[in-house]
Amino acid sequence: MSEHGNWAEWVYIGVVCALLVWVGAEAWNVERLVEHVPADAEVIKVTGQQWFWSFEHQDGTIEIGELHVEKGKAYKFEVTSKDVIHSFNIHDYVVLIDAVPGRINIVWFAPDEVAEHEIQCREYCGLLHYNMRAKLYVEEST
Amino acid sequence: MRSKIGLLVVFTIIFIIPTLNYALAAGDEPGKYLDRRVEIWNLFFRMMVVAFTIGAVVAGTMIWLVWRFRESNPNAKPTKYEETGDW
Repeated sequence: MSEHGNWAEWVYIGVVCALLVWVGAEAWNVERLVEHVPADAEVIKVTGQQWFWSFEHQDGTIEIGELHVEKGKAYKFEVTSKDVIHSFNIHDYVVLIDAVPGRINIVWFAPDEVAEHEIQCREYCGLLHYNMRAKLYVEEST
Repeated sequence: MRSKIGLLVVFTIIFIIPTLNYALAAGDEPGKYLDRRVEIWNLFFRMMVVAFTIGAVVAGTMIWLVWRFRESNPNAKPTKYEETGDW
């Protein structure tokens, strides 16, 4: 077996390692970019409970089942739950984070066009989970 | 030598780390926001391209191996171990 070369195996190992490093680095970088909340983001406290969403704006305004935001602004959601685990999802903006009782999870987004979008619970949370929805209204900035 | 290493560590802390932090900071300018949809879906598509390319290369290699080294291939030769029966 002494004349058996194993360069091909080393090339294979090298390629696999390089790819793994690349995949890890890319994912880490995108996660870092996406999780970096802009300093001027407006805070909205989001609370999930069976089976509706409520939203509290910085000025104290509370909305239930609907959320009004302005185009071109950044919003930081502080998400929590009053009862069981829910998951806050704005599908069209790839916003998804768990709402866990006793814990505040952070996610942010910046709507860029006037439109209406669905907000929905993405974690099975009981009988009416399927109907735990809210409406996101992105309006022209004032 | 020790003092040089110490100095290097101090310089690293003072200059390099803040520079890296600054270079890596993102989205701090007011009004300029990153589009998370673009970032996330682009990552997904890049990973899919890599995954399918590797899948194709690995599957192709296996198909070629099975085809090339089958016993009935006209080019097939017994290895010297098989010839002598000496394993």
